[in-house]
This record gives sequence, structure tokens and C-alpha cells, in this order.
Amino acid sequence: MQRILSALLAIAAMAGLGGVSLAVWPIGNSPDLTEREGDAQRGAYLARAGGCIACHSDPGSGRPALTGGAPIETDFGRFVPPNITPHKTVGIGAWSIDDFARAVRQGVAPDGTPYYPAFPYAFYGHLSDQDIADLWAAFQGVQAQEVTAGTNEIAFPFNLRFGLKLWRAAYAKGPPTEAETDRSEDWNRGRWLVNGLAHCGACHTDRNVLGGRQTEQYFSGSDDLPDGGKAPPIRPDDLRDAGWTVSSLAFGLKSGVMPDGDTFGSGMGEVVTQGTAWLSQADREAMATYLLGEDSTAAD
Amino acid sequence: MTLRKLVLGGAAIIGVSATAFAHSGATGVVKERMDAMKSMGEAIKRIKPMMSGEAAYDEAAVHAAAQSIADEAGEAMTSKFPEGSTDHPSEALPRTWDEWERFAALANQLEMAANGLAMAAGNGLHGDGHMMGDQSGMMGGGSDMMGGSSSMMGGSSGMMMGNGGFPNGMTAEHIGQMPADGAFVMLTQTCSACHDRYRKDDD
Repeated sequence: MQRILSALLAIAAMAGLGGVSLAVWPIGNSPDLTEREGDAQRGAYLARAGGCIACHSDPGSGRPALTGGAPIETDFGRFVPPNITPHKTVGIGAWSIDDFARAVRQGVAPDGTPYYPAFPYAFYGHLSDQDIADLWAAFQGVQAQEVTAGTNEIAFPFNLRFGLKLWRAAYAKGPPTEAETDRSEDWNRGRWLVNGLAHCGACHTDRNVLGGRQTEQYFSGSDDLPDGGKAPPIRPDDLRDAGWTVSSLAFGLKSGVMPDGDTFGSGMGEVVTQGTAWLSQADREAMATYLLGEDSTAAD
Repeated sequence: MTLRKLVLGGAAIIGVSATAFAHSGATGVVKERMDAMKSMGEAIKRIKPMMSGEAAYDEAAVHAAAQSIADEAGEAMTSKFPEGSTDHPSEALPRTWDEWERFAALANQLEMAANGLAMAAGNGLHGDGHMMGDQSGMMGGGSDMMGGSSSMMGGSSGMMMGNGGFPNGMTAEHIGQMPADGAFVMLTQTCSACHDRYRKDDD
């Protein structure tokens, strides 16, 4: 609550300063990745793990993959994941790799405007230059498609994008992903995936009225997902209470089957079918190991 | 009977009725479909440990479970979703009827996958690293996650199992040639695709 208050106070203060200063406040910085060689295969794998394909595609629409996802209905308005094929005008074909790096890791569009946090860039900040180059190579290999999924319909005042700069300052920090040396390789790999690329916390951590993740509520679940869905708590004890083990969770991330024989819904099915099911068994086990707080799959 | 036993007995009865889950109170066609869903879930639960390597593989059990799901899928399922059947405690979202064709297609796909799993039961499990076992392998083999960079996402040809949609022209016989765990995952991902879109979360 205190943070919401301080964020609101900050907004009030900035309004006092005048929207102009906020509008011209520069965000993001410019990387230089032009010389880096990317591995498209590895990039495609990362795109699966990161949900790029799941979110920016809507197979039921009949449009080709990556031409834009199904709309996400939120309290702030309707967000439409855009076309990210290399089309020059409707896709990302006119971008440079540095534009791409800034968009993915920092949430800043090539024209300098901030993205809405419906795009979970906060979780992608840990990606290395090589990861970005690999992703870029993968997206470059996709056929350009001149179709769009529609446009965002955001309610006032959230439609004023400069307000997002304040949001960034308050909330645009992902959970930790850096390796801890006293932990196993599995656990660290799982943490990198779970807290970073796979952005589990985007749904499984509750958000405040401004859409900021409440870090003290980390993985405690959320009752107000877009479209009225719910995400259960996924802290180690919650998972164990629900009957999960490292091996059953790793298999659940491939099959969608829960311990009671039911299967995932509310969007988690898509996370599996278009994301985690494509990962290696080792990566799924690593994610389960980290989520259950175990240091070795042998301990299961 | 002592007071203690009475209390314990009462608590046990309450416990049992509480675990008679969200389905309690359902009547008519809503109850029928909830019972059908529950029976399919139980079939999945029986064979899942065999698919994940947590229990010994039993071909007959896999065949029987697949058959029981096939019997509840397709027409048998859609007939239990007449328009307007949203009485409490139904968990079916209105979208089910708004997108009836898409919903019915998934019900039919479930029947195909279940029939496929029944045929695949005799194939056993794939070995680790086997070509057809993993979804990644199924779609292009080995580390080639997307089947080549020119078709990173499979394009519009439907190779991507988007929203649980199977490749065009796939039949139960095709699925029947897969290792049983590969067929099983195609089946359960179809369950999930439907739950994703048409099932309301428990209150």
C-alpha cells in the first residue's frame, strides 16, 4: 500500500512539474550488437521459453504465427500483442538489432516510447547480448507477413504513455536471476528460466492497482488475471500441498496434467503447448527443481 | 457410541461432502458432463504415472483408459453442452456457445487423440532422445526446435499445435504410430486447450 501511495504521490508531483518534463524524460540506453553473430536455432528455443510465440500468435484467428496475438483484456484496457514478423511496416522489419535489444530488455520502442507492462520486458532484462542476437536471428528467419491483429484500446489516463515512465521507475524490475554459487546448476538454470525468460511471476504474483507486481507477494497467486482468470500460488509449500513433485511438475510442464488428473486451463495450457512443452526435459526438470526449492532432482 | 466418535464421524462426513467438490448440487445435463469430465480426469490420473516414468507401463490399462476417454469425447461430449445449460455450478464459459464450431472441433480432436492413444498403447514409451517422443522432436527432430529457420513457427500450415490444433490431415491412425507417451501428450494438451478457453476457474 505504501508503495502505491508513494507512486501516486510521485505522479502528483510530476503533474506539478508539468507533463512536458515527463514526456521528454529519456529512458533506455543504446546497446551495440551489430557485430554479434546469432544462432537462429538457439534463438527459436529462447522464443519458445519466453512465450514470444505463444503471446504474439493467435492460431484460432486463422492468421499466420507471430502476426499478433489474441487481445488481452485488462482493467486498463485492451492490449493487442503486435505483429513481430520482419515486415517493414506492420512488423519489426525496419528495426535494427539494437532497437530489438532495447525493446526486449528495456521495454522501450524504437521511437523512444515506453511499452505497456503487458509486454513482460521486466523479466527479459537478464538476457545476455548473445541471447538477444540469437533471438534476433530467429525472428529474422521468419517470413514477413502483412497482417495485423488490431490496435490497443487503452482507457484514459493510461493511454498517455509518458505516465509509463513513472511506472517503470517504480515497478520495472524483474525478480533475481543471477547464479548463486552455493546452489546446484539445475537450480540456477531453473531460476534463470522461472524468474527470467519464462516470466512465471507475470501471472503468479499478484499486482497492485497500478499493475505493479507486489514483490512481497512473490508467487502467491493472483485472482485477477486478464479475462477473469486465476493463477494459483506456486511457492514450494503451495506446490507440495497440491501434490506436485519435481518429476510430476516437469511432466506437467510438458503434458498439462495436474496431480489430480485434471489438466491446466486459464491460459496455462497455452503456456505449456506453445512454450514449456518445446523445452528440453532437462530444462523442465530445472524449472521444477527451482520452483519446489529442491537442489537436486535426485532429492525428489 | 461415545461423544468423541460422534464428533469424529460427523467431521468425517462433513469432510467427505466438502470433497464432493464443486460438482455437488449439479443436476441434469450439467451434472452429466461434470461426471464425464471427472471420469476422464480419473482415467488420465491412472495412466499418467506410466507416461512420466513414475510407474511401470501397463499396455492394457493405457488402452482401457484411452478407450474410456474416446467414449466421452466428440459427439458424446458436445451433446452434453446444449445451448443455455449454464446452471450453477456449471463451469462452462458463455464463449463455449459463442464459438461453438471451435469448441466442437476440440471435442472431436479429443476423440481422435484418444482413439490414437488406444492404438498407440502397444507401442510403449519412447526412449530418451527418441525422435518422436518430445514435442520438439515431433515437429522437426532433435534440437531443431522449429523445423528450420524458414518455418520457425510452422507458418500457417498448422504444423504448430497452436491452441491444441493438430496438423491438417492428421488422423487417429497417425497418432497410433507414435510412442504412447507422445500420443498421451497430444491428448492431454487437447484437454488443456479447451480448459484454457472454455472453462471458468473455480470460485
